Amino acid sequence: MRLILIAFSVFIFIGCSNDSDPAADKASFTRIYDNNKYNASFYPIDIKQTPDGGYLILGGRRIDNSSFSGIYIMKVDEFGGFVSEQEVDETFVNPIAPLMVNGGNYYFFCMTSVGLQTQLFKLDAEGILSEPISVGGSYPAAAAADGNNFALLSYDNFNKQTVVSVVTPSGSITQSKGFSIGAGDAVEEPIINHFLRTGKQIPFLVGKVASGQYYFNGFYNYTLSLAFTNLNADEPQGIVQGQQDDGGLSQVIPLDGGKFALARFNFGDNYFLPNASLNTSGISSSTDLGGNPFPELIANASVKIIRVTINSKKVVLYGSDTKSKQIALLGYDESTGEFIGSKYLGFSNPFEISSIVSTTDGGLAICGTTYVAGRFPRICLFKLSEEAIVESFQ
Amino acid sequence: MKRLLPLLLLLSITFAVNAQQKKKKPGGIASKPSQQSKFLEKQFWLGFKAGTNLSEASPIKRYTVTTPTNYAQALNDKVYDSFSKTGSQATLEATFYYKGFSFSVQPTYRHSRFAYSNKFQWSNPDNSAEQLILNYHQEQKVDYADFPLIVKYDILRNKIRPYVQAGVFYSLLINATKSVKISGTDFASGGTNQFANQAIIVGAKDLFDNYWGLMAGAGMDYNLGNVRVVLDVSYWKSMSNISNAANRFSNDRLAGIGDAQDDLDLNNIVISAGVLFPMRFLSNSFKTLDR
Repeated sequence: MRLILIAFSVFIFIGCSNDSDPAADKASFTRIYDNNKYNASFYPIDIKQTPDGGYLILGGRRIDNSSFSGIYIMKVDEFGGFVSEQEVDETFVNPIAPLMVNGGNYYFFCMTSVGLQTQLFKLDAEGILSEPISVGGSYPAAAAADGNNFALLSYDNFNKQTVVSVVTPSGSITQSKGFSIGAGDAVEEPIINHFLRTGKQIPFLVGKVASGQYYFNGFYNYTLSLAFTNLNADEPQGIVQGQQDDGGLSQVIPLDGGKFALARFNFGDNYFLPNASLNTSGISSSTDLGGNPFPELIANASVKIIRVTINSKKVVLYGSDTKSKQIALLGYDESTGEFIGSKYLGFSNPFEISSIVSTTDGGLAICGTTYVAGRFPRICLFKLSEEAIVESFQ
Repeated sequence: MKRLLPLLLLLSITFAVNAQQKKKKPGGIASKPSQQSKFLEKQFWLGFKAGTNLSEASPIKRYTVTTPTNYAQALNDKVYDSFSKTGSQATLEATFYYKGFSFSVQPTYRHSRFAYSNKFQWSNPDNSAEQLILNYHQEQKVDYADFPLIVKYDILRNKIRPYVQAGVFYSLLINATKSVKISGTDFASGGTNQFANQAIIVGAKDLFDNYWGLMAGAGMDYNLGNVRVVLDVSYWKSMSNISNAANRFSNDRLAGIGDAQDDLDLNNIVISAGVLFPMRFLSNSFKTLDR
């Protein structure tokens, strides 16, 4: 009888072991944030994990009073559960990535819908917005954290210039340099179509390399180019030229030792270069960089790259969109560029990547757009556990 | 560890049976029963039975992929069918009978089915033609190896022997599949377009897990010559989550259409019929069971 009681106790002990597991629920989940308005359209731009374990998502939305995208901000909890949303006033449009963290707050650039003047918004970890600060300039295209300041790439449609600026969190421009895109409306057309989201999405980028040089991926001298500048000289010190708007770099992440993790596109084809060298002080062509071709990706695919550490190994993780409408994650050894693994997200409905971030639990959060019922653009969030990442990229 | 549980069960019942046997050594009995009555005080039975089962899954905690931002989550909640899908099971029964009580192990292969449905709707208040309704119907088929430890009590000890039974069981997952049928009405196609897509069928073993539970029921034995025909009905209630909490979002095909596995209790009504054979002193000259 005693043995039966022991067996019964073992039953209870083991049987209870698969009860709800909050740790597992946080570590791994998939969410699609749905709005039941038939003509609503939302897409994410960037995501950041907040100190409470939740996530802040900056997004865009279809609005009625402007041809540009409106601003959408969503806060979700550590389980991906919806907490709050803000559909920011339609006088502000065209939010751009990334959400930049500075002093415990989150910043992003956008512009006014009428004057097209660049604005800097600050929000807290709950997604509560402060009043915007007018920065000046127009058409913000890309941004990056730059120490305690922000690097901003914008388009000056009056002077037809690509402008790189350094902006403080209070909205002051401390440095700025403009570079001519070339004369004529034909050069400007793809830029404006990018902002209106009626044409090809140009991979505008800005950042800083270890040497102190700034780089930007934007139009210079009639061509989409990756240019390196000290923000003093009138001409960039180094230029990697693309093919007007049909070719160029689609993503650039500086690595250690002057190397770069790159992605490039050329007339629809996509190439990854996980451990590339760039000429930062001369003129070169992106087509000469070569790289691994990826016919599985959509034409001129959007590419996101982050540096992560998986099993004590530095890994460069690429995320992009496949022709089968999945999100592809491809991992490469940072030091050698060797391919180490892949993971595909999404099925049934189309999925497109917007942002990848590492999470404090060693996992990844991948934010993207899905088309619910094959038609309604909605924000989706994949949270991958550390175990799942190790399994895919070890 | 979970895999050792059936072995533990078998060992424990074996020890329990041995213990019963040791206690049954003949001693000084005031009124000596007849040989036949004494013989009938204990018996080993071995047999098999099979039948059908009805399942009910009830959510312990609900999970979802599709997370509403401007309407109530309850509008999308899954509605679980209750005891509407029939499954089947086959059981080997080994029972030790002693003075009206029976101690039984009944390893069972069980196939159960349960279903749920939910509904999504998008509309434009300014234009009634802009409306889409989607209905998701999801059916789960789970195969388990059940290892119950059951105590029965015979209410009557005649040729027809009604009994009540109760016990505990542990269920090992063998396989699981899930099929999703999507149908809907699209009012934005220039008319009313009712459609039904082909079912998506996926392997879902990763979404489920082993579990344990309690059972109780009643039945009836009918002694037919040297064999015993059995019919019983029992209610099996899971006491732990049958879902695999770590894998609820792991199936991209299901997550892609907005489905996530809830934490679930699985309850079954199990109806079985079969036959048992006595294993002790079985002979043609002595009808052990005609009592």
